[in-house]
Formats: sequence, structure tokens, C-alpha cells
Amino acid sequence: MTIGTMFNLLTYASPLAELEVGKQFYWHLGNFNIHGQVLLTSWFVIGLLVIVSVLATRKVQMVPSGVQNLMEYALEFIRDLTKAQIGEKEYRPWVPFIGTLFLFIFVCNWSGALIPWKLIHLPEGELAAPTSDINTTIALALLTSLAYFYAGFRKKGLGYFGNYVQPVAFMIPFKIIEDFTKPLSLSFRLFGNILADELVVAVLVFLVPLFVPLPVMALGLFTSAIQALIFATLAAAYIGEAMEEHHD
Amino acid sequence: MIHSVLLLVAEAAAEEAKGGLFDIDATLPFMAVQFLILVALLNALFYKPLGKVLDDRDNLIRTSQAEAKERLMKAEALAKQYEQELAETRRQAQAVIASAQAEAQKIASSKVAEAQREAQVQREQAQQELDQQKADAMQSLEQQVDALSQQILQKILSGVSLG
Repeated sequence: MTIGTMFNLLTYASPLAELEVGKQFYWHLGNFNIHGQVLLTSWFVIGLLVIVSVLATRKVQMVPSGVQNLMEYALEFIRDLTKAQIGEKEYRPWVPFIGTLFLFIFVCNWSGALIPWKLIHLPEGELAAPTSDINTTIALALLTSLAYFYAGFRKKGLGYFGNYVQPVAFMIPFKIIEDFTKPLSLSFRLFGNILADELVVAVLVFLVPLFVPLPVMALGLFTSAIQALIFATLAAAYIGEAMEEHHD
Repeated sequence: MIHSVLLLVAEAAAEEAKGGLFDIDATLPFMAVQFLILVALLNALFYKPLGKVLDDRDNLIRTSQAEAKERLMKAEALAKQYEQELAETRRQAQAVIASAQAEAQKIASSKVAEAQREAQVQREQAQQELDQQKADAMQSLEQQVDALSQQILQKILSGVSLG
């Protein structure tokens, strides 16, 4: 990988400026390969989310404070987002899925931007945001596809295929293509944004190790949050679209 | 059959050069499964309990708001009723005052009239007495005048007779 070797040349500068693109820390599970560095950080993220959830609901109060307040704010935000996309009547069962998408991607992105993972050395590859690995984003995007198919079929049965001829019959090929482009665009948008942000920050840190990367890092935080929001909103919109009633 | 195909695919993948940006492997299903587990975990630990709290609080706020509104309506009705009663009472008080004033006026004017009449009577009486006394005085004066003129006449006459 030429990009990889190019960036490996930069590694003498500092551990924070180090960047290894496309190098994976492989674990072998039977005949299958798994990217260990992705799973390690994702476990960290999952652990963080679970711990915060437990802290927030440990002693629930009518007048919230502290962690409970924060998580209630998050929950209300997620509910509003889901309600806006899916609609008042159907949104409730989808709150956990959409909400977890948002929280998981958001915490993944911010952990990549805020935690100096690179200081922890792995035999090969490096720790980074799990969302900067294509496997994670494709997994999430495919789950979203499954979710909206499930939503459509559960709501309308085989009538879901009626969606493909809405509003006119010649939309069928486009609608079918859409089923492929939706997960593709979802996964590549997230993957590209997060990876690009990490690359830009790492290159800038290598070139000018002081102060100059800070605005880009701040921008990275912003992009990370926006990407999480976009992914969750689009997923909710797809689900809402699949369940939409057509009156003709 | 399927299993062996999977094995072949896995071996082929393993033989390929490892690494790269688009290295899709078993991380993908693993991630999907652990994401679903996370959804289930967070559903039990986060969405359900906190969602219940939010709904409970919504209900509490809604019911207490309805109660407060009802109470406010009652209070307003009471206030209106009191105001009406107050207005009624004020009107009654006004009427009582007006009648009392009228009565007082009547009494005062009757008293004044009586006093005037009494004064009139007294004055007339006094006038009468005065007239009586004047008449008496006149009478006695006349008698005296008569006597004196008699005397004067006698004196003159006697003077003349002597002269």
C-alpha cells in the first residue's frame, strides 16, 4: 500500500503524528480474520455507553440531576429526531435502534477525535475510531437496510412492494437501485468523513505539531457530531419512508 | 456444500494480500452482532427506564397542569361570585344610606317647619301682647291727657275770671 508506506515514513516525528493507513491488527477466529483494533475501541465505546446508561438509571429521580439529566437530554433529542422522521404514531419502537446508531457513532467518532489512541501501541496497525473502518460502517448501513425492510414488511406485508411503483410504475428500477445505494452511501459517507478527518489531523500534526492542527481538530469534532446525526437521521428517514402510507 | 464454499472463500481471502483500506472481513458481521447486542443492552438499561421517567413526568406535569387550571377556574368563579355579592351589598348599603338620608331630611324639614311655626306663634303672641300693652298705654295716656287738659282749662278759666 503506497499511501501506507508513505505515512509510515512519517512515523519518526512523534507518536501522535503517526499514521498507518490500511494496516490491521489481525485476530484469527477459525478461518476468519477480524480487525482487532476496531473491536478494541468499539468495546471501549460500548462499555462507556453501558456504564453511562447504568449510572444514569441507577437511582432514577423525578427531578433529574447529573448523569440522569444528561442522558434524559440525549433521549429527548433522539426521540425528537425519530419522531420527526418516522412520525408520531410509529416512532416509539424505533427509538432504541436509531438512538443506539446515533450514540454509538457519535461516541465512536468523538473517541477517535478526543482520545489519543495512538499512544497505545499495537503489534500492527493502530487504534482509531471504529467508524474509520469500512467494516463498521458497512455493518451499520446493512443493519439499517435490514431495519427498513423489516419495518416495511411488518407494516404492510407484501404490500411493501407497492412502494416500488410509487408514484409511477417506471420508478421500479430506480427504487431497486436505491436499495443498494442507500447502504452504500450511508457507509461510505461515514467512513470517508471520519477517516479523512483523522488523516488531515495526523498530517497537520506531522507538519506543524503545535496549535495549527487545533482548528482542524475542532472542525473534526463538529464533522464527527454531524456525521452521527446524519447517519441516524437518514436511517430514521429510510425507516419512515418504508412505513409511509400511500393514498391513491 | 455451503460450508465448504464459505471455507473456500475464507481461504481465498486469507491468501490475498492482507490489509488495505477496504479490507472487508469477519469484522463486519461481528460488528453487526455486537451492535445489535448493544441495542438490546441500551434498550434495557437506558431507553426503557429513562423513557418511562420521561413519560411519567409528562403525565405528572399534564395532570397537575389540568388540576391547576381547574383550580384557577374555580378561584376565578369564586372571585366573580364574591364580586357580585360585594356589588349587591354595596348597592344595598347605598340604598340604606339614601333612605336614611331621605328620612333624616324629612325629619329635619318637619322639625324646621315646626320650629318656624312655633316661632311664628310666639311672635304673634308677643305682637299681640305688645299691641295690648300699647293700647293700654294709649288709653291711660288719653285719660291723663283728658285730666291734664281739664286742669289746664280750669286754670285758664279761673285766671280769666279773676282777671
